[in-house]
Amino acid sequence: MSFIPGQPVSAVVQRIEIHKLYEGDNLILGFSIGGGIDQDPTQNPFSEDKTDKGIYVTRVSKGGPAEVAGLRLGDKIMQVNGWDMTMVTHDQARKKLTKKNEDVVRLLVTRKSLEETVRQSMMQH
Amino acid sequence: MFCRNQTARATIARGSALEMEIRRGKFRQSVFMESPQDSDIQKKIDYEIRMREGACKLLAACSQRDQALEASKSLLTCNARIMAYMSELQRMKEAQVMQRVARRSSDAGPMDDRSPCKAKVAISDLRIPLMWKDTEYFKNKGELHRCAVFCLLQLGGEIFDTDMVMVDRTLTDICFDNKIVFNEASPGFELRVELYSCCSEEDYSAGNTPRKLASKLSTSLGRSSGKKMRGTLEPGACSPTSNGGGAAILLPVPSVPGPKYHLLAHTTLNLSHVQDSFRTHDLTISGNEECSFWLPLYGGVCCRLAAQPRCMTQQMMSGCLRVKLGGEPQGWTNVYGVLKGTNLFCYHQKEDMEANVEPVLTIGINKETRIRAAEKDPHSKAQNICISNQYGGEEVTHTLAADSREDTQLWMEAFWQQFYDMSQWRQCCDDLMKIELPSPRKPAIVTPKQGALYHEMVIDTSDDIGTVTDILARRIEEFELRAQLGSPPHWMSLFDEDPPRSPHNHQHLPPHSPSPCHRTPGLLSSNASLTSDSDSPVSVSPCFRQAWSPDTSSSSGRFRPRTLSLDAKLSTLRGRGYGGFRCNCQPPTAGSGSPRPTQTALFCSSSTSSSSSSEGSNSQESDLGFSRPSGARRSLRNLRAKLDPRNWLQSQV
Repeated sequence: MSFIPGQPVSAVVQRIEIHKLYEGDNLILGFSIGGGIDQDPTQNPFSEDKTDKGIYVTRVSKGGPAEVAGLRLGDKIMQVNGWDMTMVTHDQARKKLTKKNEDVVRLLVTRKSLEETVRQSMMQH
Repeated sequence: MFCRNQTARATIARGSALEMEIRRGKFRQSVFMESPQDSDIQKKIDYEIRMREGACKLLAACSQRDQALEASKSLLTCNARIMAYMSELQRMKEAQVMQRVARRSSDAGPMDDRSPCKAKVAISDLRIPLMWKDTEYFKNKGELHRCAVFCLLQLGGEIFDTDMVMVDRTLTDICFDNKIVFNEASPGFELRVELYSCCSEEDYSAGNTPRKLASKLSTSLGRSSGKKMRGTLEPGACSPTSNGGGAAILLPVPSVPGPKYHLLAHTTLNLSHVQDSFRTHDLTISGNEECSFWLPLYGGVCCRLAAQPRCMTQQMMSGCLRVKLGGEPQGWTNVYGVLKGTNLFCYHQKEDMEANVEPVLTIGINKETRIRAAEKDPHSKAQNICISNQYGGEEVTHTLAADSREDTQLWMEAFWQQFYDMSQWRQCCDDLMKIELPSPRKPAIVTPKQGALYHEMVIDTSDDIGTVTDILARRIEEFELRAQLGSPPHWMSLFDEDPPRSPHNHQHLPPHSPSPCHRTPGLLSSNASLTSDSDSPVSVSPCFRQAWSPDTSSSSGRFRPRTLSLDAKLSTLRGRGYGGFRCNCQPPTAGSGSPRPTQTALFCSSSTSSSSSSEGSNSQESDLGFSRPSGARRSLRNLRAKLDPRNWLQSQV
C-alpha cells in the first residue's frame, strides 16, 4: 500500500459496489473519507505508511449502504467508478463519490487484512 | 388637420399637444372619412399609451433590479408599438387620400390585381452564440459582468418581445425560448429582429451569482462598478453608437430613472430566410467594447423561421364537381372537391370531408401542374377543366367539370389564385411547415428542499461565503418557522456547558472513536460542510461533540443543531461577512496542547465554511477570546492558509 515514486502501485483489492440510498433529497453512501494529496498524511490514523496521501475510509455508518456492501473502516479507496483515487485532492475524491446522476459507485478498495489473507492462502500451497 | 410632418418626429413628448390630440381621438375628426381600421388602431394606441404610463410608474416605484429591468423592457416595447401604430395610421391616411384623389380624377386603374394570400410567420428557438475570450471564460475571480438582454421582433404592425435573459460569462449562448407567431404577413414581409441589452451590476437576487455575493456584500461599490452604474442611469454614453446601426424601432425613452436598454444587434429576415429547419443568419452589431451593455457576440443568430401561407392551411375553394374517372368517355362521377394546399381533394360527398374520410381522388396542384380549360363539351354547357400532372415520366390528365359556367369560372379563378400564391410564397408552399402555438407560460415552480441545510450539497464552487449566504437566504423562511415552533432540542442544553473544558476531553478521546467527533467536522473542506455548518450556528461544537455517543453516530449524522434566531444571526452576517467558527476540524494539530490555542485553531479552521452560522455563535462564544478581524476577505485568507496544511479533513459521502 505504500507508494514508491516511480514504481507502479500494486495492491490486493476488493471490489465493492455501493448502491446509494435516498435520504430526503440526497443520495448518500453512508461513510466518510479522509485524506488526499492536499491533506497532511501524518494525521491519518488508518494508514500504515504515514506518507500515504490516499483516500481512506474514516467512518462507516451502521447499516448504511457502504457497510452493507462490505466497506470497512480504514479501507483505502483506490478507484471509484474507474476514477483513480490514489493521487487526488480531498475535494476531487468527494466529488467523484457524490455525483448526483450516479446511484451506484463501484469502488476498488484495499486493506491490510486482504494482503494478509492472500499471503496466507499463498503460503498454504 | 393632421399634419404629416409630425410623424417624422422621433419623440412624442408626454403631455404634448400631439399626444393630447391622439388621446382625444382627434384623428376621428379629421377631414377624411373614418374607417373601421382607424378606430382599431386608435384603440391600440390608447392601450399602449396606458401600458406605457403604467410601466413608467412601475419603473419609478420598484426597488429591485429585476423588476426595474422588466419594467424597462415593457416600456421599450410599448414605445415601439406606439411608434408602429402611429406610422400605420399615417400610412392608412395617406392611402385614403390617394384613393380619394384617384376617385376624383376618375382614374380607374386595373382592378384585377391579384394579391397573394397572407401567411402566419413563426420564429422560434432564437439562439445567439457568444464569443468570450478564453481568459474571460475561465476566470474565476473578478466581477461577473452581467447583462440583461431580450429581443424585440417586428413584422408589419406587430411587435413582440421575448423574455428577458441574464447573460454573464458562464453562458456560451443567449437562448430565448419564446415562440412568436405573426398572423398577417405578406410575401414581401420583413421581420426585424433587434437585440437589446442592459448592463446589470450589483445583482442582489439570490441564486444568481452566489460566488460573488459575499464580495459584493462586504465591499462597497468599487470605482469601476460605480462608474458603470452611473453610466446605465444617465441617457448613456454609448447611445450615439448604439443608434448608429440603422433605425431602431423604438423611441428614445423620456427620461425615466432606471435601467436603460441599448440596441446591441439587429437583423432583418424575409421570405428567403424561411425554412422548415434551423438556420443561422448574420447579425449587424452596434456598439463596441467600451459600452457598458457590450456582449461579445459571435455575429450570428440561429433560429427557426417558418411560414404557413393561408393557401396551405385553409380551403381556398370547395364545391361540387364532376370528374371523369376511368377510360369511358361518359363516366362522370359526382364528387365534392376541396382545394387546399397543394392538392385538390375529391370526396364522395361533403360529409366525408368533415368526417375525415379518405378522399376518392387526390389531384396534386403544384408548380408543375398545368390547368387549362378544354373545348366546350358538346354535351354540357360548361367548359371542362383539364388538370395535367407529371408523375414520373408520364403525364396524367384529369378532366373535371363544374355544374355551371359561373362555377367553372370560380374554379379557374381559384386555381389561378393558388398558382399565384405559390409563386409568391415559393418554398413555403412545397410542404406545410409546422407552427406550434405558443403555450401559456407556466410559472416556475420552486420546490423548497426538505431536510437539513446540510443536505443541500449542491455547491460546486470552492469555499466561499457567498454560497453559504445564498443558501441561507433561501432557507430563512423555512427555518424561521421551524425555529419558532416547539422547545429547543435537548442538545441545546449542552451549550450551557463550559466551553474551555471540551477541547481537553476532545483530545483525550481515543483515536478510533473519532467517528462521532469527526462527524460534523468531517464536512469542513467540502462545500457540504458549508451548509451544514451554517445550519448549526452554535459553534460550541466541542460541547456538542461531547454529548455524542458512538452508537448514535449514524443517526445523528444527519442531525444538525438549529439556532433559534438564525435570521437574526444572518442579518448580522452581511455586515461581518466572515465565517465564524465551527470547529469541525479534526483532531487539531497534535502539537498544540493548551485548550486556548486549540480552540482558536479550531475556530479558525472552520471559519471558511461556517460563515453565517458562526455569526450567531459569536455572541455566545465571546469568552473564547478570538479576535475578529476587520476585513472579511483578509481574515478568510489568513484562516484558509492556516486551515489547509494543518488539518486532516474528512468528508461525509
